[in-house]
Amino acid sequence: MPEKVTVSLADDAVARIDEVVAALEHGGLRVEQVLRAIGVITGSVDTGRVKALGDVAGVVAVEPERTVRLPPPESDVQ
Amino acid sequence: MVDDAADGMTGRYLLVLDDDFLDDTDRARVAVQEVCGGERPATTREGAPAPGRPRLFPELGVAVAELSPQQLAAARADRRLLGVEPERVRHAIGLSEEYLRGFRDAAQFLHAQLTAGAVAAAQFGDTEELTWGLQATGVAESPETGAGIAVAVLDTGLDLEHPDFAGRDVETRSFVAGQTVQDAQGHGTHVAGTACGPLAPSSGRRYGVAHEARLMVGKVLGDDGTGTDADILAGMSWAISSGAQIISMSLGADVRAVSTAYETAGRRALAAGTLVIAAAGNNARRSAGNPGFVGVPANSPSIMAVGAVDPSLAVADFSAASSTVDGGQVDIAAPGVDVHSSWPRPQVTRTISGTSMATPHVAGIAALWAQRTGARGQQLWAQLVQAAQRLPLPASDVGSGLVRAPGA
Repeated sequence: MPEKVTVSLADDAVARIDEVVAALEHGGLRVEQVLRAIGVITGSVDTGRVKALGDVAGVVAVEPERTVRLPPPESDVQ
Repeated sequence: MVDDAADGMTGRYLLVLDDDFLDDTDRARVAVQEVCGGERPATTREGAPAPGRPRLFPELGVAVAELSPQQLAAARADRRLLGVEPERVRHAIGLSEEYLRGFRDAAQFLHAQLTAGAVAAAQFGDTEELTWGLQATGVAESPETGAGIAVAVLDTGLDLEHPDFAGRDVETRSFVAGQTVQDAQGHGTHVAGTACGPLAPSSGRRYGVAHEARLMVGKVLGDDGTGTDADILAGMSWAISSGAQIISMSLGADVRAVSTAYETAGRRALAAGTLVIAAAGNNARRSAGNPGFVGVPANSPSIMAVGAVDPSLAVADFSAASSTVDGGQVDIAAPGVDVHSSWPRPQVTRTISGTSMATPHVAGIAALWAQRTGARGQQLWAQLVQAAQRLPLPASDVGSGLVRAPGA
């Protein structure tokens, strides 16, 4: 099963973000966004390969993507 | 009539000059002279001045002067001054009879208040001119407008044809696949209105804080009110690279653990001179004994978490309290109950509650501070919490207190 993940880069890896992207792709990440200003990469990967992405040099965290949900518009508390 | 002397005031004012006057006595002297209507200030190096003559302490960047009401108003709007305050009479603390008498009076006063039940509570309300939130935070008295500062609101978009934003230069981008930035939900139009709505709306009272700020609207939540980390982080990245000094995020998930991705984004935003401000969350039910907890992303140490207070400046029933995770504290509070702001046509305005409504008050006021002092990022954060009005409430609920506009 592919799942969506958010990958955060270490400070010293931001300058070579393209190298890290290549290594993540090699590790099975289908990259959707490379957010250079914040050093974060998003994409999807098969569940069995998530853990190995965390071992890629320059990666500090691989987190499952979350969804936020506002209360319905008619709610008094937003 | 207030009797200044009886009130402990001398009738003079302390003028606090901007930091860049510290090394330049001549410029400081000219600035004080202009504020005081042409009278050349004496410096501390010249010995005791003639009575009534302004006095400059160049090594402190502070002057003391008598000001007419017109001069006082002009001084409060003067960008060269960080503050203008009445000078007070102070006494050395020793066991003089006068000191003991003061101590006795204060103790009697406190005793009377405690036995009488409570200190008179504040009670704000919307007027024809202003929302209660703009009154309580001093926005109405602030000479700043947010001009020259860019505020990015990441939410459900904006009603681009709303009469209160007609003709406004708004930079927009949708990060939600297949949807335009047009707000079909309402939440985004409400929070953008509080942060950056106009000085004179098409109908009703003023509700917007930074009415001359450049408004950037990133749609990261869809028309159904949901959004993913990927879209929200993409919106943050866009706002930082597009030069926003402030990012307002009235969104979050009820998750205790800090997200590395949001903390990384918040930290890199601060380093780039962008302050990220987020809603603490609405997961408390205080009346039922549940204080809730600050969720993602507001619980990131590098993202400012905003709690909500009501028109009596009590913490809102729903407003999440600090959690024990590193960064899980509420940093500041703002008006978040019965908040009147813009809503998509045809309704045009609506009054709702939430830490979502408190957050854009802080974002707009941050723009006023950024305009006044030039502070960015971490320095802007420090100014906001430093200037906040302390409330008689636990810091775990309201952080350093009620956000306060500059010059108020």
